[in-house]
Amino acid sequence: MPAHPLRAGFSAELEQLRLQVELMAVRVDQNLERMREVLSSGDSSLADRALNADDDIDDMNVSLTERCYDLLRREAPVASDLRFVVSVLRVLGELERVGDLALRVVKLAPHHAAMASNPPTYDILAAMADESVERYRSALRAWATMDLAAATDLATVSRSMDLFYERLMFELLRLEGPDAVRIAIVTFAAGRSLERIGDHAAIIGARLRYLITGDPNHLVAEVQ
Amino acid sequence: MPETKTTQDVTETVDESVDLTPTVRDRPQDTGPAVFDVTDLSVYYGAFRAVRNVDMKVREHEVTAFIGPSGCGKTTMLRCFNRMNDLIDIARVEGLITYHGVDLYDQAVNPVEVRRRIGMVFQKPNPFPKSIFDNVAYGPRIAGAKGDMSEIVERSLQRAALWDEVKDRLRASAMGLSGGQQQRLCIARAIACDPEVILMDEPCSALDPIATGRIEDLMNEIKSDYTIVIVTHNMQQAARISDRCAFFTAEVNETSDTRTGVLVEYDRTETIFSNPADARTENYVTGRFG
Amino acid sequence: MAITAPLSTGTAAEVVRRRLEGGGPDVSGWMFRLSLLGALSFSILVLGILLVDVFTGGWSVLSSRLGDFLSGTLRSQAADAGIFQGLRGSFWIGVFVVVLAFPLGVGAAVYLEEYASDNRLTRFININIRNLAGVPSIVYGILGLAIFVKSLGDFTGGRSVIAGGVTLAILSLPIIIITSAEAIRAVPNGLREAGFGVGSTRWEVIRHHVLPYAAPGILTGSVLSLARALGEAAPLILVGAVTGRLGSSEGLFDVGALDERFTAMPNIITFWAGLPDPDFRALTAAAIAVMLVFVVLANSGAILLRNHFDKKR
Repeated sequence: MPAHPLRAGFSAELEQLRLQVELMAVRVDQNLERMREVLSSGDSSLADRALNADDDIDDMNVSLTERCYDLLRREAPVASDLRFVVSVLRVLGELERVGDLALRVVKLAPHHAAMASNPPTYDILAAMADESVERYRSALRAWATMDLAAATDLATVSRSMDLFYERLMFELLRLEGPDAVRIAIVTFAAGRSLERIGDHAAIIGARLRYLITGDPNHLVAEVQ
Repeated sequence: MPETKTTQDVTETVDESVDLTPTVRDRPQDTGPAVFDVTDLSVYYGAFRAVRNVDMKVREHEVTAFIGPSGCGKTTMLRCFNRMNDLIDIARVEGLITYHGVDLYDQAVNPVEVRRRIGMVFQKPNPFPKSIFDNVAYGPRIAGAKGDMSEIVERSLQRAALWDEVKDRLRASAMGLSGGQQQRLCIARAIACDPEVILMDEPCSALDPIATGRIEDLMNEIKSDYTIVIVTHNMQQAARISDRCAFFTAEVNETSDTRTGVLVEYDRTETIFSNPADARTENYVTGRFG
Repeated sequence: MAITAPLSTGTAAEVVRRRLEGGGPDVSGWMFRLSLLGALSFSILVLGILLVDVFTGGWSVLSSRLGDFLSGTLRSQAADAGIFQGLRGSFWIGVFVVVLAFPLGVGAAVYLEEYASDNRLTRFININIRNLAGVPSIVYGILGLAIFVKSLGDFTGGRSVIAGGVTLAILSLPIIIITSAEAIRAVPNGLREAGFGVGSTRWEVIRHHVLPYAAPGILTGSVLSLARALGEAAPLILVGAVTGRLGSSEGLFDVGALDERFTAMPNIITFWAGLPDPDFRALTAAAIAVMLVFVVLANSGAILLRNHFDKKR
């Protein structure tokens, strides 16, 4: 960078935006933690807190999206600035969906007993929750540090999630008993949401790769 | 309420907002024959080197924009294409510019003929202090066209999007037109000579936004018939209307305390404004350095 | 707020008004204006006195026998003397200046400004031309005597109108060159570039764009030069203007008489002014009056031409 860069106000606004996105990601992370707790304990008070937190996350999404539009209108960014603002807009979308998926699992709290009654599937659910949260946190770290290597790692196929999912389906199909249908439906719903949380983390990684490299192949991120 | 949906399949969310036309990236880099081929060109004013070692090709039926901060040789470079630098005693060109394969600066080449085929529009509108009709008819007349010029004049004024505004006062003095109209008259004057190339040196810098917009629309309309090279300080304009951009910057010569222009990057406009290869280009287009 | 006075809002407007209206009268400005006006008035006054003096002094001649005066020849008797030969001499000198100095001068100016490159030689030439413009006119007289009367006497007829006309043409040349060069330099470069841009040759640019634009300035300079030339007496004396023993029967446009002895208006005026006979006072004044009229006519013609070209700009 040259000695006296111009548009210092603009640069500062971009940095602010990046930090705010990080903050929103942290809020989502907290809700994911609550989701894990609810999954293991079925605590309904936690569920209420998660619902409130999700409202905050939604508000943040709206205000940050508006801020992005404002930057586009006012500053006419190009090149890396444009890639940044566009990437932020799309990462906001991803974060918001992760939040919603976590909320979906949290809303299954009343059926906790049913899920917990079948240990084989219940354990898989717990493992899937850990895996998806771990992947999400990798994405969060990559964004905070703007690390290309970490972002690239996220794109690599995670066999473990697929394996969990296959096992879960296998176990669910083998389910028998009076409550089998109810357990199956609830467990399947939870498993699906957890799997997709992991997918969204990969997409965040792809968005980050586009932001850093400018290679439009990463714009169209297809999860393998 | 957030505008994103929550119950979407992962693969659907991937490209619902992506409107990228894949053909942009797939188009081959070298489209169209080269009108100008510049090889290792340097321009000197006496002992001072204004521009150094430029290599580029200007392609047919494209709008090529020269961008960069002030004083880095963009206008000097532009004026090499129609030998306007000849008018300055101490100007000297080293290296090679060919026009359809012919060396522009060859001894046998007549600069007057060059300028008939490669027209120019200047930064400050400079119509002749004659009537509108005579302004447009002047070029063809001195090129030897005889007889009634009305047809040529009308055609040129039509192409310059000025006909409707002046058709009832062709004999009025050109100096009575507004700035934007005068500049379009200068464009019509250049077009009347039936050139192949039109060079434009910051044609809109003295005009208001509406006049500027009209001229940009005009450039879009006529670029399929001409090859246009434009020097501009307005980056949004370059991004809007050009097909290719050449970014120049000035290097400071420590010993003589002068600045020499150098071509940093020359690529398709989409690339220059979305993902330029050189950090200097990035710094310039994002406005961090200028 | 720029106002620092801690007043209540009621009087804030008062303070503002006082500050805007105050400051006192601009005495030095008025003094300067008055002195400029004084300078202008003085010049006009002097000119006015001259005109009044001349016209009242020559009125007796102009009113009673204007026709004879204009067509008469030099005589020893004041009552019969006329200025025809002077008019003829000055007329032909004017013709020579216009025909010789004007094209040569403008041509030289065009070359210096448009074709010559800016090197030491060009600058040297420019400086020398400026010096020549300041050379006393008597020097041109000596030049004329040496070359056009003596050396080229066979062609010019010795002490003749031809010699006088060419000498004064050379005298006018530097001023014409300088003023024309200034006028050409004042042509905006954008106009030239526009001409070149559509494929004009250098000569076409000069002929179609530069000269028409510079015409007012060139004409002004040329007329000034002509007026100066017509008023010069000293060089003509050297080149042989006489005040007696002239042929009297030639008409105004008789070209054959060009290589014979001649006279011009300034010389007649100088001669008559020095005669002891008081009757010649009126004649002198009348002659001056006539000369002034012709100068005014020439200037008016030039102004008309200039306005014509100015409109085209």
